[in-house]
Amino acid sequence: MLILKIAFRNILRQKRRSLLTGLSMTGGYILCAWSFSLVEGSYGNIIDMFTLDHTGHIQIHKDNYLRKPKIYKTINNRKALETILASNEQVSNFSPRVFSPALAYAGKKTSPVRVIGVDVEQEPTTSRLAQKVKTGEYFDANPDSDGYFKAMIGQGVADTLQLDIGDEIVLISQGADGSIANDIFIIGAVVGNRTSYDRLGVYLPLGAAQMFLSLGSDVHEYAIIVENKDDNEAVAAILQDEMPELVVSPWQKVEETFYRTMQADKQGNEFTLGIVIFIVFVGVLNTVLMSVLERTREFGVLRAIGSRPLEIIKMIFLETMLLAGISVGIGVVLSIPLITWFTYVGLLLPEPIDMSGIEFQYMKGEFSWYVFTTPMWLIFMFSAVVSIPPGLRAAHILPRDALGSH
Amino acid sequence: MTSVIETKNLCRFFGNDETRVNALQDVSISIEEGEFTAIIGPSGSGKTTLLHLIGGLDNPDSGIIELSDVNIADMTGTELSDFRRDHIGFIFQSYNLIPVLSAAENIEYIMLLQGVPARTRAEQVREMLHMVGLDDLGDRRPAQLSGGQQQRVAVARAMASKPDIILADEPTANLDSKTGISLLEVMRELNQTKNMTFIFSTHDEKIMDRATRLIHLHDGEIELDERKQA
Ligand SMILES: Nc1ncnc2c1ncn2[C@@H]1O[C@H](COP(=O)(O)OP(=O)(O)O)[C@@H](O)[C@H]1O
Ligand SMILES: [Mg+2]
Repeated sequence: MLILKIAFRNILRQKRRSLLTGLSMTGGYILCAWSFSLVEGSYGNIIDMFTLDHTGHIQIHKDNYLRKPKIYKTINNRKALETILASNEQVSNFSPRVFSPALAYAGKKTSPVRVIGVDVEQEPTTSRLAQKVKTGEYFDANPDSDGYFKAMIGQGVADTLQLDIGDEIVLISQGADGSIANDIFIIGAVVGNRTSYDRLGVYLPLGAAQMFLSLGSDVHEYAIIVENKDDNEAVAAILQDEMPELVVSPWQKVEETFYRTMQADKQGNEFTLGIVIFIVFVGVLNTVLMSVLERTREFGVLRAIGSRPLEIIKMIFLETMLLAGISVGIGVVLSIPLITWFTYVGLLLPEPIDMSGIEFQYMKGEFSWYVFTTPMWLIFMFSAVVSIPPGLRAAHILPRDALGSH
Repeated sequence: MTSVIETKNLCRFFGNDETRVNALQDVSISIEEGEFTAIIGPSGSGKTTLLHLIGGLDNPDSGIIELSDVNIADMTGTELSDFRRDHIGFIFQSYNLIPVLSAAENIEYIMLLQGVPARTRAEQVREMLHMVGLDDLGDRRPAQLSGGQQQRVAVARAMASKPDIILADEPTANLDSKTGISLLEVMRELNQTKNMTFIFSTHDEKIMDRATRLIHLHDGEIELDERKQA
């Protein structure tokens, strides 16, 4: 306790200097926490957007379907797979899908499209497809009275082929067995907008798509939503162990380019903040060194009356950490309202950003343990490092020399 | 009588071959328990150097310093720190209290270094303050005390570690003569009632009169070593 008292009083000794040093650390803390919050918040939004829009948190495919999609690379032991998924507590929802490129005709117009077969019931639990319906109605799995299945088309297809609800669309593709696939579907809905990833998509009920592509009951993909999205890589690893004949990919693999870009961007941000913190700590080092030099005589006395060198180092370490602790404490108190505001209200953007048909009006932050603790550890770590050279210096003051200087 | 400290042929010089100063030359003394010794001599005669060597603040170039049969001449680092902490009490000319600590805390601090339990420390602090006549001033910071009071705190601090010997380098040099004498009386009383061994340096005649033994230094050599019947 006496040791803490000494540290505290030594900080108060040069009030103005300690205040400035403390403020610079507080400022550094707030800047870091705020910046982490915005970066995490923005990327969190984007990630939520595409994982919930279509990728899911984890995907399962046969072989390298993700890189080289071929119609014959199918998952056929679906029962076993779904049993595994259902028994995993981390998996909250999953949905099977089939894909194929196709040529669409309507009247005299044609357009290349992407056929996406989805399970009509399960898909809305895994993606936002149902919410993306702009006109018409979300489809059902059954054919109409004339035997035609419903299709939902992306805005791009609707524009190019000038299609409306109730119109017919003819799809031509190749079946898994090599046969020509060729069928008529009725437009039941238009989904998304011109910037959606599926603007050239034609959604079919899974059964209809499997029939159209001669896939039997096989599918190309399972998309999975997990309970806790931050654990998705761990869950993917567990699932991979349980299904060695398939390839289980977390979204970080599915959207590898995005993930890499994001990591690089985050590192860039961390680097920038690292420089800011470094500058702050050049100042802190200077302060601590100055306070050691001013107290040369005192440390000489402490050494003379029997303080060990390590005790002197500890003393300076404690002073630096205490100042850092107070500064970080104030930083936390000040950043809580700031980050709360950014998380729940956010900064109104001059122009909304449109991503896959969802508009971002606000720049938002993230309120999380990570955002608050990362700069905290950063500052404590730097403080510890910065206290060592002055500590060593003080510890090696020779009492004889220090006492000689009156 | 048992000797607390014995030095044999202590030599300490400073500088290089050309500028060499023999601060101490062949100093051999034996300090007995309970002695109240004054080291006297003009400025530059080696008083401080001798006290630093005996107190383990400096290492001699040659010679032996024995304290309860342990030679400290070659000790360094932590070993020497611990030796000073447990065996030597220091009083400096310019008090050298820790400014951020109150009088009581200054006294307590050295016991903290020794690992004395908190309750014992509190008792000891009270006793030490009483011994030097500062019962009511324990809460004051050094800056709120007069020079004489600060030096009494320094005496209490030196006593608090229960050392084998207390070394005081010109303890009264910064005090007016009346205050100086009264400080010396405090030291002498501790010497008599607690049988604490003191060595102090001075060039003040009135101060040296109170010693039981006078060691005269001149140019780093012992000129005269006289014991008086106090
Ligand atoms: N650190 C040092 N470096 C060089 N010379 C020193 C040093 N310390 C003491 N001396 C010299 O040693 C001699 C004795 O000094 P000191 O012990 O301080 O004498 P006193 O305390 O009796 O005045 C003096 O000549 C002084 O100049
Ligand atoms: Mg001197």
